[in-house]
Amino acid sequence: MAGTVSAIGKEWLIRKALLVSALVVVFGLALVIFFMAKESLPAFTGAGPANLFGSVWDPRQGRYGMLVFLTGTLTTTAGGLILGTPLALGLALFLTQVAPRRSRSLISRAVELLAGVPSIVLGWLGFTILVPWIRRMSGSSGSGILAASIVLAIMVVPTITAISRDALEAVPPSYTQASLSLGATRWQTVRGVLLPAARPGLLAAIILGAGRAIGETMAVAMVIGPASVFPTSLTSPTHTLTTKILMEMGESTGVQRSSLFAMGLVLLVLTMALVMLVRRVSGGESRLMVAE
Amino acid sequence: MENASVLESRSRRFAGKGAALADRLATVAIWFSAMLALALVIGVIAAILWQGLGTALSPSFIFGKPEAMREGGGIWPMVVSSFYLAVLTLSLVLPLGVGAALYLSEFARGGRIVRLVRFGADSLSAVPSVVFGVFGMVVFVIYLGLGYSLMAGALTLTLLNLPTVMRSAEEAVRSVPNSYREAALAMGCSRWEMVKKAVLPVAMPGITTGAILSVGRIVGESAAVVYTVGLFVRKVPWSPFRPAAPMAANIWHMYTEGALVPDWFRVASGEAAFLLLIVLVLNLLARTTAGLVRKKMGYRA
Repeated sequence: MAGTVSAIGKEWLIRKALLVSALVVVFGLALVIFFMAKESLPAFTGAGPANLFGSVWDPRQGRYGMLVFLTGTLTTTAGGLILGTPLALGLALFLTQVAPRRSRSLISRAVELLAGVPSIVLGWLGFTILVPWIRRMSGSSGSGILAASIVLAIMVVPTITAISRDALEAVPPSYTQASLSLGATRWQTVRGVLLPAARPGLLAAIILGAGRAIGETMAVAMVIGPASVFPTSLTSPTHTLTTKILMEMGESTGVQRSSLFAMGLVLLVLTMALVMLVRRVSGGESRLMVAE
Repeated sequence: MENASVLESRSRRFAGKGAALADRLATVAIWFSAMLALALVIGVIAAILWQGLGTALSPSFIFGKPEAMREGGGIWPMVVSSFYLAVLTLSLVLPLGVGAALYLSEFARGGRIVRLVRFGADSLSAVPSVVFGVFGMVVFVIYLGLGYSLMAGALTLTLLNLPTVMRSAEEAVRSVPNSYREAALAMGCSRWEMVKKAVLPVAMPGITTGAILSVGRIVGESAAVVYTVGLFVRKVPWSPFRPAAPMAANIWHMYTEGALVPDWFRVASGEAAFLLLIVLVLNLLARTTAGLVRKKMGYRA
């Protein structure tokens, strides 16, 4: 079979072709970073960093501050995590410790389904049901950080649940058995042994949840406002970085357009920093895609 | 595990009063969060279907011509756009993803390239979809001159989906037992022949599952397509170099410019329900086909 010159040549060629397809992700990442940086250059030269990171967005006055949107991104992400993390961790504990064996796969499948719901569909639901409901409850416009946080919580639950379930399952049963045989209750075992042992994985899960929330666009765009001002309450309209880019990219030019790319660059920096953090926390090799 | 649960019930009996109470409270809280999550899943799915399933299931809606000003329009061009986009993207991302997975698990020798590729995949998978969208607009729509088109969208979504497809393919390839590889090599196969005859057939069910699930992600993606493919079309886009409008992007169009069509609410709800239905069916399909492919391969391997 092998051994002839042409067979060796073919083998070499296939090897190189596979190498090239493996390098596409690296090339693609470099390309994304390069073009986002290149397109945001006019904003840095034309408006300047002080203007770009200022708190006023008013292109007609030459003000391109993104602080409002950065605040929106950080507060909605925090809100989503505050609402979603306890639920997801509870769910992961349920799936690994409490649930009757037969119901486990059923419930994990249901949670996977939630991960599969397209963000535009979830956003539509938020816009048609959640926002009107908050409007009736609070007497405000209904859209804002609260609605966005609830929608984001729903989106991060599958991510955090899947990864923290893996982390909990990776704890050797001998650890928990030892604790239980010493007379500790199940909750004492969970708190004293299981959670500390799974800590790096749980942290990674929450960080990845944060990454997902920071980058989420459509679902947030339909419930956040929109308004380019700081919110005065949890139920007053505002913007996040992603929703601002989405809503204005189509109808902007020049420095304004470039400053939207600068916001994209900031998003890129934020999410890449989280990736580095996860790699640090979970010790090099990370498993980022579990929930997708 | 049986032993553990016996221990659990005993330990509560012997624990102090406070500890036993805390244990009960924690159990209740954990049950509560699980039931809340389950209610959330059911609630979300039920609400979307309740709003739009009636519309989505009528043939005149799915196969109907869209209206730009009047009510009663259908979404046929959007349905075609969505699936066209999925087929185009898959035909690009699947060879790349499987090729990359094969390289990483079967051919790579140096740790440095592997580490570089993994870093690239991790980072790329964290990039927000709207960033992919504006990147695709600059590079594919404008620089490459593709204009708003299915091709520009497919190229964008290829980058977006590559890390996931690569990861699931690698998982499938790595799950092939080493004895298969050793047997093939012992028969005198070259490395590629081994991959072709022993690894790929066995990994196929896993790769198929990954591919089906990525169809769901492509069809549901919106932020990355609104600036690369388009928002609304009246006619079915038969050429990949023509503007198109996937359903997900069209829902966004209805949300932002909806007032143009009197029944925008009905159209968007119908599209949302139809999209969800597609995702649900694909999920089911991914499970069953994996079994089917495995069975079929079982005769051959």
